Amino acid sequence: MNTKIRRIKKRGFSKTFIIIIAVILNITFSLLMGYWSYSWLPIQASEAAHYVDNLFAFETTIGTFIFLGCTGTMAWILVFNRAPKYDESNGEPLEGNLKLEIIWTIVPLLLVLGISTYSTSVNYKLENLGSKVKYDYGAEAPFIEEKKVFDYGPIDVISRQWNWEFVYPNGIHSSELHLPVDKKSNFRLITEDVIHSFYVPAFRLKQDIIPGSIITYSLTPTKKGVFRLRDAMFSGAYFSENQTNVIVESEEIFYKWIKETVKKELQNGLNPAGSLYQKRLRNGNRGWATVKPAPDPKVNDAGIESRPHDS
Amino acid sequence: MTIVNYDPRLVKSKNPYPKGPNDWKRFFSFNTDAKVIGIQYIVTALFFLLIGGLLAMLIRGELITPPSDLFDPTVYNGLYTMHGTIMLFLFLFPILSGLTNLLVPPMIGAPDMAFPKLNALAFWLVPVFSIILLLSFFVPGGPASSGWWSYPPISIQNPLGKMINGEMLWIIAISLSGISSIIGAVNFVTTIIRMRAPGMGFFKMPIFIWTVLAAQLLQLLGLPALTGGAIMLFFDLTFGTSFFRIEGGGDPVLFQHFFWFYSHPAVYVMVLPVFGIFSELFPVYSRKPLFGYKFVAVASFGITILSLVVWVHHMFYTGTPMWMRNLFMFTTMLIAVPTGVKVFAWIATLWGGNIRLTTPMLFCLGGLFNFIFGGITGVMLATVPVDIHVGNTYFVVAHFHYIIFNTIAFGIFAAIYHWFPKFTGKMFYEGLGKVHFALTFIGATLNWLPLHWAGLLGMPRRVASYDPEFAIWNVLASIGAFILGVASIPFILNMVSSWVRGKSAPPNPWKAIGLEWLLPSPPPHENFEEDIPTVLNEPYCYGLDKPFVEDEQFYIEKSLKKH
Amino acid sequence: MLTENQNPSLNHKPGHIKHDGHNMTGFIIFLCSESIIFFAFFVGYSVLKISAPVWYPEGINGIDLKMPLINTVILVSSSFVIYFAEKYLHKKNLWGFRIIWFITMLMGSYFVYGQYVEWSELSFSLQSGAFGGMFYLLTGFHGLHVITGILLMGLMLLRSFLPDNYKGGEMGVESVSLFWHFVDVIWILLFGLIYLWQ
Ligand code: HEA
Ligand code: HEA
Ligand code: CUA
Ligand SMILES: [Cu+2]
Repeated sequence: MNTKIRRIKKRGFSKTFIIIIAVILNITFSLLMGYWSYSWLPIQASEAAHYVDNLFAFETTIGTFIFLGCTGTMAWILVFNRAPKYDESNGEPLEGNLKLEIIWTIVPLLLVLGISTYSTSVNYKLENLGSKVKYDYGAEAPFIEEKKVFDYGPIDVISRQWNWEFVYPNGIHSSELHLPVDKKSNFRLITEDVIHSFYVPAFRLKQDIIPGSIITYSLTPTKKGVFRLRDAMFSGAYFSENQTNVIVESEEIFYKWIKETVKKELQNGLNPAGSLYQKRLRNGNRGWATVKPAPDPKVNDAGIESRPHDS
Repeated sequence: MTIVNYDPRLVKSKNPYPKGPNDWKRFFSFNTDAKVIGIQYIVTALFFLLIGGLLAMLIRGELITPPSDLFDPTVYNGLYTMHGTIMLFLFLFPILSGLTNLLVPPMIGAPDMAFPKLNALAFWLVPVFSIILLLSFFVPGGPASSGWWSYPPISIQNPLGKMINGEMLWIIAISLSGISSIIGAVNFVTTIIRMRAPGMGFFKMPIFIWTVLAAQLLQLLGLPALTGGAIMLFFDLTFGTSFFRIEGGGDPVLFQHFFWFYSHPAVYVMVLPVFGIFSELFPVYSRKPLFGYKFVAVASFGITILSLVVWVHHMFYTGTPMWMRNLFMFTTMLIAVPTGVKVFAWIATLWGGNIRLTTPMLFCLGGLFNFIFGGITGVMLATVPVDIHVGNTYFVVAHFHYIIFNTIAFGIFAAIYHWFPKFTGKMFYEGLGKVHFALTFIGATLNWLPLHWAGLLGMPRRVASYDPEFAIWNVLASIGAFILGVASIPFILNMVSSWVRGKSAPPNPWKAIGLEWLLPSPPPHENFEEDIPTVLNEPYCYGLDKPFVEDEQFYIEKSLKKH
Repeated sequence: MLTENQNPSLNHKPGHIKHDGHNMTGFIIFLCSESIIFFAFFVGYSVLKISAPVWYPEGINGIDLKMPLINTVILVSSSFVIYFAEKYLHKKNLWGFRIIWFITMLMGSYFVYGQYVEWSELSFSLQSGAFGGMFYLLTGFHGLHVITGILLMGLMLLRSFLPDNYKGGEMGVESVSLFWHFVDVIWILLFGLIYLWQ
């Protein structure tokens, strides 16, 4: 056996000492990781973000602790328990230890219970998802009475292969999603072809949009700015282009935008996939098969194609 | 029911392949010897690893810059779909079947599988569906390009309207792969239940056998659900039915349930044998008994049972009601408990051991290191609010490659090195093996660690182009991927040249305990032939002064005699 | 039989485990797995039916029960008949076995015929929405199993004329009979699901 470990073993005191130091170091580093983890995420721009980030930091802390605990032990073993060359003798023949087994079954169980209780409570705080109602395909999407109160809406979010269109309660159509800050807005998520997903990383929120069903959804933006809205459920050839912006502005500016947009004529909205497809046709239609992109949406506010975004 | 006495000599084939074990032609024939079939599976699967890896290189080449400049997006979609499909169904499942075929009969002291002909049939289906799948690259419109999930309605859109299209061939290939796996599973389960050596009760089986049993039972329970879903998808695509098509009142989300009811357990089908490999190798190279054998054995079944009730964690954001999300979040996280029992048992096995850092041990240690990481990101994904943010982003891609490549492929490499001398009769070159390990570990870490941040920042998966803010992570990942590509060179060199002209291997080069190590290297056609050993203890009694089989000396001497 | 150590020069016992053939074990495992496909279809049927805004295609309010009911009675009783065939075989009454076995085949064939008549009288098709698809998928998939069963029975019937066919046991007959019971149980579930739950 390695001389170093034998020396440590002789003085039982120093073994406990090393373990205590290691645990303290591990806890410190895990807390630091939890603290840093906030910086790995985009700007917090909705009410949900703060809850999600706290939960994530909590998990990062626990995860780091477990990971370092396990791999640190492994590293220790690799340093101190290496067999010298040509030594093929056996190690200590430990067959098991009931007490240890029980501890390492119960502790993870408790941890898991803790994490899931915590995230269940976050789930109930968020409650973004309203109802999901199937309707007969081809018919007009039915109107759904929402039980919950909200400040603005409902805005129809229509996703297609591959563009987004937003229809406001007063009938205006837009290619970008304008929202008033700090107000709970309500949406009706509608798709006309395949499954899409409404995903705004800065909001930490994502909801699939299912053909044949209408899904209501609500959220409260808390920060002014321009945020990317990305389709997050693979939807075919130009899936990666199926993005637009969410523009969160003060209530005043928002209502001004509504008022001014009503007056605008309908025009062609954002449709990056459409122009890429035209380019492909011009270049001889090479590549594998794809369905044709939906025509340009007819909107009052056409949006700006490469508007700089905050996150 | 009539009782027929079983005698291993009855299984002995009447006309064993004439030219004996050194004839390479038997690897190209409908041979019913499990050891030949095992090697057939493994070599075929490694070939497809190269193809899947090549596609991965193309993917990483495209993603090294933000715009989609290397390929048209339609081509990118086909590439990643085929990458996922090839890696899972042409590489991972076959290679695990191969290892299972090689190891199960010798490890339990059986002469062969219970149904040797079915076994060969299951193998020969692999080239059949592989060719069908690869042919789909050449049909008009290109191969399937709706992801390996093949979710409708996107998968049944069929833009060209042709009867024969990539998606259709994809479904056929997957169904054949399912049939092959079911045949294999029936065979493995029957063999393990019925053909163990005398004295080998369930609690004396090697852990690898436990994990194979747990994994194959999952195949039997889960695969038919996927097959059912695939049949319905096929009808929707080809015959215009409306199971998942909304126009006729179908429900696209129903397919997702069918798919994940199998494909979630499938990830444990893939990882369980690797847990088995870890449990076999750690005791050998730390020269200690496996810590808590019974707990490790039973934990496999804990995982099997739990894994049947967690599938909705892939569907948290599809409009799943709150109660269902909370329920499935909890069941998913519970899997951390039996898995933890295994992880801690392995670490305790290492503790105080006499560690030998051979190539297989390095791959095991690397695999365990990565598995703990990937498991923890798995638990993060299981928490609904976090999953709602990172679901369908590169965080998920990073999570599963951390397990599927950085753990499972590592475990498979470990197994290949560990049992290479046994089944080829040749030693491999340790130095090349270590180079392979170093390159693989560095490449894999550089490839997958950075992508977690891309995902956290909101980069969706399956995109051919992305916003420039994600570029840095993707550049790092692509460099890592190219290192992985280079890593395959020492591996191929090592395997090919060792097999052709390596030193010949002794029966037990690692001084391991286990029935397979009592056989000559390579083992004769019917393993123990007339002298099936009687097992006295589980095969982990390093330093314990407990005999492993009755009359061990007899078998050791017999294995040393050249046949 | 061969379970004794035949090589007395060895000083250890190469032990053998005593048990019946593996074929039955394998077959039972296979049937369990097979039943999951049906289970998946049944779940699919129920989910689609419960959640559909409209279930039956236009102009259809339900399916007629008479023909399927006769079919059910025939199929269920054939499951008893096959049991007697097996009994005869155990008693080594070969002709008794063959005759009763053949009667089971006839009953199975009548079922297929009945199914055919029912199909040809229906006014909806495979493409008639989720219901149409499900109806034909379930009855068709089950029908395929019935046909397979009949073919297997035919095979066993032919083989019973081979001399010494039952020397190694009656595995084949037992498996086919088990398969037939399986097909029968599936039908009962299917009948309840499609025809009774309207
Ligand atoms: C192949 C193997 C494999 C394995 C073993 C796992 C293991 C786990 N996976 Fe993973 N997973 C995949 C392969 C795998 N996964 C794949 C391929 C996908 C994506 C498919 C696709 O979308 O294309 C996926 C996706 C995926 C998702 C869906 C994400 C999404 O799409 O939004 C989730 C969510 O819950 C998840 C969770 C888990 C969990 C909780 C485990 C657990 O089993 C992990 C348990 C292990 C540990 C936790 C570590 C060891 C334990 C301890 C040291 C004890 C103490 C620990 C704690 C108390 C936390 N996985
Ligand atoms: C077993 C499964 C497996 C394995 C091993 C891998 C390995 C790799 N994968 Fe894969 N991947 C998947 C399964 C797998 N993947 C799945 C299921 C998906 C999801 C698909 C979907 O979304 O539908 C996916 C998706 C996926 C993506 C996301 C695509 C997207 O969402 O847009 C990316 C991108 O980087 C990627 C890259 C890689 C890379 C670089 C490797 C590298 O690790 C590869 C390195 C390997 C080699 C370079 C070959 C080396 C060869 C040898 C060592 C063999 C020697 C051979 C002989 C002796 C003959 N994969
Ligand atoms: Cu084969 Cu018992
Ligand atoms: Cu899963």
